[in-house]
Amino acid sequence: MILKTFSLAAALCVTALFDATSSLAQVLPPCCRPIAAQTNYTDKSLFQLDSIWTSDAGKRIKLGALRGRPQVVAMFFASCQFTCPLTVSDMKRIETALPENLQTNTDFLLISFDSERDTPAALKTYRAERELSGQNWTLLHGEPDDVRELAALLGVIYRQDANGNFAHSNVITLLNAEGEIVYQQPGLNLPADEIVAKLKAIATP
Amino acid sequence: MSSVQHQICVIALALLMGSMAHATPPDMVCVSDGVFRPLFRSQTDLKEVSVKSFYLDVVPVTNEKFLQFVRANPRWQRSQVKRIFADESYLKHWAGDLELGTNALPDQPVVWVSWFAAKAFAQWHGKRLPTVAEWEMTAAASPTLADGTKDVVFQRDILRWYSTSSPGVLPAVTSGPANFWGVRDLHGLVWEWVSDFNSATVTGDARGDTGLDRQLFCGAGAIGAQDVENFPAFMRYGFRSSLKAAYTIHNLGFRCAKDL
Repeated sequence: MILKTFSLAAALCVTALFDATSSLAQVLPPCCRPIAAQTNYTDKSLFQLDSIWTSDAGKRIKLGALRGRPQVVAMFFASCQFTCPLTVSDMKRIETALPENLQTNTDFLLISFDSERDTPAALKTYRAERELSGQNWTLLHGEPDDVRELAALLGVIYRQDANGNFAHSNVITLLNAEGEIVYQQPGLNLPADEIVAKLKAIATP
Repeated sequence: MSSVQHQICVIALALLMGSMAHATPPDMVCVSDGVFRPLFRSQTDLKEVSVKSFYLDVVPVTNEKFLQFVRANPRWQRSQVKRIFADESYLKHWAGDLELGTNALPDQPVVWVSWFAAKAFAQWHGKRLPTVAEWEMTAAASPTLADGTKDVVFQRDILRWYSTSSPGVLPAVTSGPANFWGVRDLHGLVWEWVSDFNSATVTGDARGDTGLDRQLFCGAGAIGAQDVENFPAFMRYGFRSSLKAAYTIHNLGFRCAKDL
């Protein structure tokens, strides 16, 4: 049973003290579910990062808090007028294309380049505008250095221009439940098939 | 070398510190306010990016210094480092986790280090990696001028290094002449990591910047290179674009910067 491996002591969502046996994923967003106690991440796990992020709900977490479920990840910024809306649409299309059992067991993670403007409150507004489900979607704000580091791990290239906007590469990354990169899909407006197939493949029976 | 620029550094410092005397950290120099002209830029980029005064290491980080770091931080030792933070070649020229051996002399610049390792080293010292803008601005200085881009002799000397392959045995740091700021070995010794190496949204490859791959980047689209004669700058640009943060390479090291 998955629940047995959870431990409150290791819960990184410090403010969310709840009963680990309460029904999982009914109301809790990905950042705030109880997490596995062990921190012996694999060598290739992005969950090893020490950086602290703030969710749009104001929770401070390490990426390790997301352990346990596959993550469909992209970097973006909320005021992006160009490709970010398309990337988010691509992710929503993936979500919709998933069979029901995978839909409830796959998380979607958006991390902002824009440390200045994309405050947790701004991300919350973005979530509402784009109708991103509270159960599956995590929106994170981080410090510039931490954003740069995560981008380096995801192979995302970006640069801020004189207007404060970000030029960036477009890539959707699939992390397995251990936080390892299992697939990356560069580009935009792409069919969901590939990532859906990969998600089916890594889903534990 | 006493000059207006150097005075700016001191003044900026004095203003910052409320006129309190504040010494430059050991083995660093102050590089004062200036501008960086990006090699490539998009329609929305400025032609010149202003760079605030900062401290920069006089020489690249040596094997000896890096050994001290890994001794104090076991997770960065060769056998301990996690694969996502450094590839299989990490510190491969060292004799062991805590032993330099004959292929890594103490005063040679450390190479075979990843961006993550370089960043961690800098943080441990209360420093950071320089940005592309800071590095390029400093590296544009000739021995006598803050902006040596028009100094023919200086440019020729740089080109000479870019056109020869790395020596089998790397020279020690401090082997090169000091530039206008007193910084050494920016050219002619090793390539160096910068904090935002992954910021080149133009691949530098004409085939990649048009047509098919345009979907890869958001809001980029270069309007052409600024200084087409600056071959070394193209080389550095291309080199940085080809890097991934976990890469380690036989002639890629780093130095640290620090805010005033």
